[in-house]
Amino acid sequence: MMNWNLYSRGDKFFAIVVSVLIGMFTVATLYPFIYIAAVSFSSGFAAQAGKVVLTPIDATLEAYGYIIKDPQFWISYRNTFIYTIGGTLMSLAFIIPGAYALSRRQLKGRRFLNLFVAFTMWFNAGLIPFFLNMRDLNLLDSMFGIILAFAVNAFNIILLRNFFEAIPQSFEEAARMDGANDFQVLWKVFIPLSKPAIATITLFCIVSRWNGFFWAMVLLQSEEKIPLQVFLRHTIANLSDNDEFAIVQTDAAFSAETVTAAIIVCSIIPVLIVYPFIQKYFEKGILLGGVKE
Amino acid sequence: MSGVNLSGIVKAYGAVEVVHGINLDVAEKEFVVLVGPSGCGKSTTLRMIAGLEEITAGNLMIDGRRMNRIAPKDRDVAMVFQNYALYPHLNVADNMAFGLRIRKMPKAEIATTIADVAEILGLTNYLERRPADLSGGQRQRVAMGRAIVRHPKVFLFDEPLSNLDAKLRTQMRAEIKRLHNRLGVTSIYVTHDQVEAMTLADRIVVMNDGAIEQVGTPMELFNHPANTFVAGFLGSPPMNQMKGVLTEHGAKIGDTEIKFDGFANGQAGRDVIVGIRPEHVTLAAGEQTSALPIELDLVEPLGSEALLHARFGNDNVVFKADTKGDIQHLSGVGEVYVPAPLIKLFDAETGHALNAKG
Ligand SMILES: Nc1ncnc2c1ncn2[C@@H]1O[C@H](COP(=O)(O)OP(=O)(O)OP(=O)(O)O)[C@@H](O)[C@H]1O
Ligand SMILES: [Mg+2]
Repeated sequence: MMNWNLYSRGDKFFAIVVSVLIGMFTVATLYPFIYIAAVSFSSGFAAQAGKVVLTPIDATLEAYGYIIKDPQFWISYRNTFIYTIGGTLMSLAFIIPGAYALSRRQLKGRRFLNLFVAFTMWFNAGLIPFFLNMRDLNLLDSMFGIILAFAVNAFNIILLRNFFEAIPQSFEEAARMDGANDFQVLWKVFIPLSKPAIATITLFCIVSRWNGFFWAMVLLQSEEKIPLQVFLRHTIANLSDNDEFAIVQTDAAFSAETVTAAIIVCSIIPVLIVYPFIQKYFEKGILLGGVKE
Repeated sequence: MSGVNLSGIVKAYGAVEVVHGINLDVAEKEFVVLVGPSGCGKSTTLRMIAGLEEITAGNLMIDGRRMNRIAPKDRDVAMVFQNYALYPHLNVADNMAFGLRIRKMPKAEIATTIADVAEILGLTNYLERRPADLSGGQRQRVAMGRAIVRHPKVFLFDEPLSNLDAKLRTQMRAEIKRLHNRLGVTSIYVTHDQVEAMTLADRIVVMNDGAIEQVGTPMELFNHPANTFVAGFLGSPPMNQMKGVLTEHGAKIGDTEIKFDGFANGQAGRDVIVGIRPEHVTLAAGEQTSALPIELDLVEPLGSEALLHARFGNDNVVFKADTKGDIQHLSGVGEVYVPAPLIKLFDAETGHALNAKG
């Protein structure tokens, strides 16, 4: 608890302003979640009529019942897991050694190579050339294509490279004197010392893979390969075209809106489960103590 | 031949040469200390021996094998770093085992080796701790343990004690000496602390500006410095150096002539630098002593001795006098005495010793 007596008048005012701003920000980020969850548990009619504000109206599980009966939902859910896990592993397999190499002083042409990597952050080929490239590589409508194509991300490489660069040179030298080769220096010293940075990058990869939508939609045709996000989009498109849903009856148990909300809720759950486990790796200060400043 | 052998070792960073052709033979089991002012190339030389720095030119031999292009791990040398470089994510035991595991030593053997070394270094109770939870002295010991467990041919130390406080430094210095006596491993030790150099070394190598000024036992260097640089570097306070001119019976410094026979024959008029060690002067005249008239400026008592800051002609000088704890009678001192054979002469231009022995 804060001891208000320790704060001057100006500090108190500042603390209040900060608290209010943070409160507003919290509400602004939290409300969409609550709203979507509330809609997903409401009746189709209530949702369509705009009655839902904070809590479910005419609470029902019909929307969930509708989606779990759809085999395509489970297929795309599984695909999202494959893309997320496979893609993240693939990314780490490229990013970690890449960042390590770029962080080493002894790398010839290091400045140029670093510039080369950073360049891709500001300039890329653009939609059509990228698509044509994927086509010519025979990676259209291929699950492996999706995993491979987005594995390397310049921002993540630079982030990790900077972290590696900040690790004192003497750790590498000590390991070399101890007999370690490059691979062992990376594996036994740099990776354990970089857990917080690698956890951050892993989280970035997971989130971007989990939410990946646009390129999956462009590159994948077969229904059995699409991820959840693309399935969500198909569902929205189908339901709004479907006569059965077009006019919402007063007694409609679910609607396009509640089904969409239910899919979104389902897609958020794994992220909510995984996040706390990764977050604990965002610890700082693992470097303290080994080197005397 | 065993030991470490440097011949014509040069290090250049691009166009800048920082080590200019060093020749040095370190015998097996010898403890050699490299000293010199900051930036003189001590670390660079040591790191070339370790293999952490490429050798630009010259030959490095360890145990008779040319090592210039051999990777650090295959040179069979171990290094203790100034900042210890202990792996923060590993506990003490794992830090020491790191190199042994990489070298695929059997588990049981690793365990006994570590237990033995921990015993020697008094680390037995700390094996499970991470470096962050150790004191400076304990970390230092772990760093040494990591070098010792490997039983290397050569130990390299780069200012291993400079991060410790004065008391601990003295203690660890003695411990390093004891370890060396016990293990008898060829050691090359870098420091800029002349006391460490004097106490630890079998032989001292004084470096300056990327070159060796003099090599010798601590007492050789102290008593017979080859030049004014070494004379000024070793000893605390350093040797007093005064410009003078040789005369028939001694040397003239400013208006004062100090007398010492047996050197200047036929060289009268030559410009020299006269060197007098602070601890060589006495307050009373004795046999063969020359008198130095001084103007006492400041007295710093050190216990049974005192430092006398004084003016001698145009020079500021510092002498160390044995006072037996009584500094009262110093106030009136107008003259001190130095045994003539202990006076050093250096060429005024080159700085080379003129009356050095050997
Ligand atoms: N990577 C480098 N590039 C260019 N010059 C360097 C490099 N490393 C060291 N030097 C130069 O080489 C010279 C010798 O450095 P070195 O570290 O060997 O000095 P040192 O004797 O160990 O000094 P200290 O007592 O301060 O540790 C210095 O002038 C330094 O500036
Ligand atoms: Mg140094």
